[in-house]
Amino acid sequence: MGHHQAVERKPANDPAFALPQAVSKLTLPLLAGGLVVLLVGVIIGCMAVDTRFGMSAYLTALIYCTTLSIGSLFFVLVQHLTRAGWSVVVRRIAELMMVMILPLAVLYLPILVAAYQGTLYAWSIEGWAEGHGVPAAIWAEKERYLSPGWFTLRSLIYLGIWSGLAMWYYRNSQRQDETGEITLTERMQARSGPAIILFAFCTSFAAFDWVMSLAPMWFSTMFGVYLFTGSILSAHCVLALASFLLQRAGAMRDEVTVEHYHDLGKLIFGFICFWGYIAFSQYMLIWYGNIPEETHWFYVRSSGVWSTLGVVLMVFHWGVPFAGTMSRHVRRKPWLVATWATYILIIHFVDLYWVIMPEAGFGAGAAAGLAASILCLVGMLAMMVGGLFRLASGVRIMAVRDPRLGESLAFENI
Amino acid sequence: MADSQPQTITAEDGKTVHGVVGEYMDVDSLLSACERVRDAGYTKADAFTPFPVHGIDKALGIKPTVLPWIALVCGLTGTSIALLMQIGMNGDWFSSWIKNFSYEYIISGKPYVSLPAFIPVTFELTILLASFGTFFGMWALNGLPKFSNPMFTSPRFDRATDDTFFLFLPANDEKFDESGAKVLLGELGAEHVEPVVDDDTSLTIPKPLLVGLAATIALSFIPALVVARMRVTKSTSPRFHIFPDMDFSPAKDAQQTTTLFADGRAMRPLVPGTVVRGYPGIEGLDVDYEFQTGVDMEALAAIDASRVERLVALVDEGETEAEEVDGVGDGDVASEAPSDSDEAAPVDEAEAAPPEDNTPWLTSNPLLLDEATLRRGQEQFHIYCAVCHGMNGRGNGLVNQRAQKILASTWTPPSNMHDPTLHQDKYADGKLFSTISNGIRRMPGYAAQIKARDRWAIVGYVRALQASQSASINDIPEEQRDSIAEEQEAVKKAIADAEAEAAKKAAESE
Repeated sequence: MGHHQAVERKPANDPAFALPQAVSKLTLPLLAGGLVVLLVGVIIGCMAVDTRFGMSAYLTALIYCTTLSIGSLFFVLVQHLTRAGWSVVVRRIAELMMVMILPLAVLYLPILVAAYQGTLYAWSIEGWAEGHGVPAAIWAEKERYLSPGWFTLRSLIYLGIWSGLAMWYYRNSQRQDETGEITLTERMQARSGPAIILFAFCTSFAAFDWVMSLAPMWFSTMFGVYLFTGSILSAHCVLALASFLLQRAGAMRDEVTVEHYHDLGKLIFGFICFWGYIAFSQYMLIWYGNIPEETHWFYVRSSGVWSTLGVVLMVFHWGVPFAGTMSRHVRRKPWLVATWATYILIIHFVDLYWVIMPEAGFGAGAAAGLAASILCLVGMLAMMVGGLFRLASGVRIMAVRDPRLGESLAFENI
Repeated sequence: MADSQPQTITAEDGKTVHGVVGEYMDVDSLLSACERVRDAGYTKADAFTPFPVHGIDKALGIKPTVLPWIALVCGLTGTSIALLMQIGMNGDWFSSWIKNFSYEYIISGKPYVSLPAFIPVTFELTILLASFGTFFGMWALNGLPKFSNPMFTSPRFDRATDDTFFLFLPANDEKFDESGAKVLLGELGAEHVEPVVDDDTSLTIPKPLLVGLAATIALSFIPALVVARMRVTKSTSPRFHIFPDMDFSPAKDAQQTTTLFADGRAMRPLVPGTVVRGYPGIEGLDVDYEFQTGVDMEALAAIDASRVERLVALVDEGETEAEEVDGVGDGDVASEAPSDSDEAAPVDEAEAAPPEDNTPWLTSNPLLLDEATLRRGQEQFHIYCAVCHGMNGRGNGLVNQRAQKILASTWTPPSNMHDPTLHQDKYADGKLFSTISNGIRRMPGYAAQIKARDRWAIVGYVRALQASQSASINDIPEEQRDSIAEEQEAVKKAIADAEAEAAKKAAESE
């Protein structure tokens, strides 16, 4: 007699595996509304403060969506790399999320234009180096890397590699939905190792190029890892939240059990610590070394409103969720896991805001600046979710013929 | 299963029965048996399986472990210990009541209590204690270490690591009754039921083990004995250096040579463009030449413009002015220099007063002469001046005493600071500063050793010293005169007492 009853496998075309009608109806409003809100946000930012502020707000929102998408890509790669069985029921959500890097890639166009026009990155502004006392010889070396052409090429490489990986894994997973071939899983596993290496390379350098180069004279080799920690943390939160909401909407009610929420909760807890660890390590090394060219980044962020925000991050990005998600009893309540996931997704934006916006050079830009930043985020996020619904409407939201689905359905924490 | 009556074995006489164990061949029958046993009221039943079985703790009615709480408490203890230890050992606020405990090290220019530096240690200690708490807590909760368990007496139990599932009802369970337990396990589908009896194997330690233990202990003495022998014997072979770079430090002392640099100098000259703290002559910096020379530059420019240029140049190069003063033939020094080197005749400074010194010395100390400055001056005077001039400035320091004792022929006795010719009205502050900086007669210049600010502080202290020996009661603020008079009385009385005592002793000894 079985004590933990494994969930019965449903036929592949069961309506529980389709995106609920109520959800897919939202596609168009989200896409259109999101675009409008995003444009309004950017325009407010540009008008109320200046173009650079507006573009920074746009970049913050874009980086936020990108971290969710590539965090999901990493999740999928890691599941294959470790041959994970538990995660099969939620993996498709991550697969859908990672494909969003394709539409997001298009949204990078304004960033590349800004790099040519000198409206976002300090290094692309004419005469910036002279104005900031950077010796010409040093600046010449910097410029060899931070030139608009080379920057564009690198951006295309990152986006290309991510999109390629995402599409390849997505297509194979979709194909398995129809055919149930086990060789597909084997192939995806075999390629996950090199894929992770490529992924790590792109993530680190993209963080250097798109975010760290906002302060062109500053450098931190672990900056890429810092953004990655937020990325992988929020990707897990997206999975927990999306599963919870989909179940509320009536899809995959039986398949995603308390055990899966428990595991996602554990990983969220772990990555909260990982974020704190990396954020602190980066800070401490620079603080202890106390070299002006390294400390100025933190100097800017420890004055005025940014200093408050830094403390807020310490307490609310690490301390509070660390204590909050520590207990097993919290992790075994899906609604609590979903609540904490939402919380992390909000504080993740504060983190990116704190990283990116100070470089725009205008404090928080007062109420209009804040409104612009939030509108940009809401708009971009709505567009991404709209795109996600558009993509998910035609396909199943669970990898129904994955050879490890049974293992996932029967999964139980000790 | 249901048809065959399960076998039962009774305990042999004289052996304690620890409980009854039943064997099951698959997980499901074990789990259902566990549930039935739990429902029958057993609270201490235990199961042994070849692999972890989901839900067995629930089936046995085992409560969730308290181990997480132990780990949490231990972890928080680690956090507190680490923070208290670091703040206590390094913090200055702590030292007011536990002075000898705080090191007060300034590390890397950070405050005594700087949290970021403490976080790694705090993190490590938290993890360490939480791990210890978890590991040893698990041991304690499981009653470990336990070298033998009565379960092992039956050879059948070996299959618990292979293909058989065991359900054990211990005798210390309130519900336990041997025959009842056997019947219950049999009813629940056990393939085999037997009592768990005392382990009857010998309690003596096997001889080979004892021999091995003794041999290990004996052998472990050898290294210590070898070291002990080496400490009392002599050897002709060179000493063995475990850390040669610590025994022979590659660090260089002042004035040594090195092969590391082309010019062979171990003391490295300043890198062009660097600024040394307290180093006066840096091009482009605002240098206070009067502060560095003790000369009123404007007044000097009116008399001798070329000397101003030389002085400025010397300060800019960071050189001491000794050469300058010597070379230019500045009144006193020039006239005395030859007599010093040729003659051994001890010339007192007062006697050798310069015929004419027209240098416009600064007449007042540029420093604010507060208590801190005077204390600094006193400290510096004690370090650099007192060895010759004496703590009281009377010119009878230890070096002078020694020179007189050995009748050193080349010795020039140091000046007595209390000589009226050295008082401020005759010997301006600037001149005194210049003397300290550049030396006079046999006295070397101290500009290279004492910072300009400290030289001025010494000047201030010397003036205080002079005042202390030539002041009248009228120089003292009125409100303090009474206490001074009292002190004087006390001192006089003490001297009188001491004299009386000495006289008495002398009288006694006669």
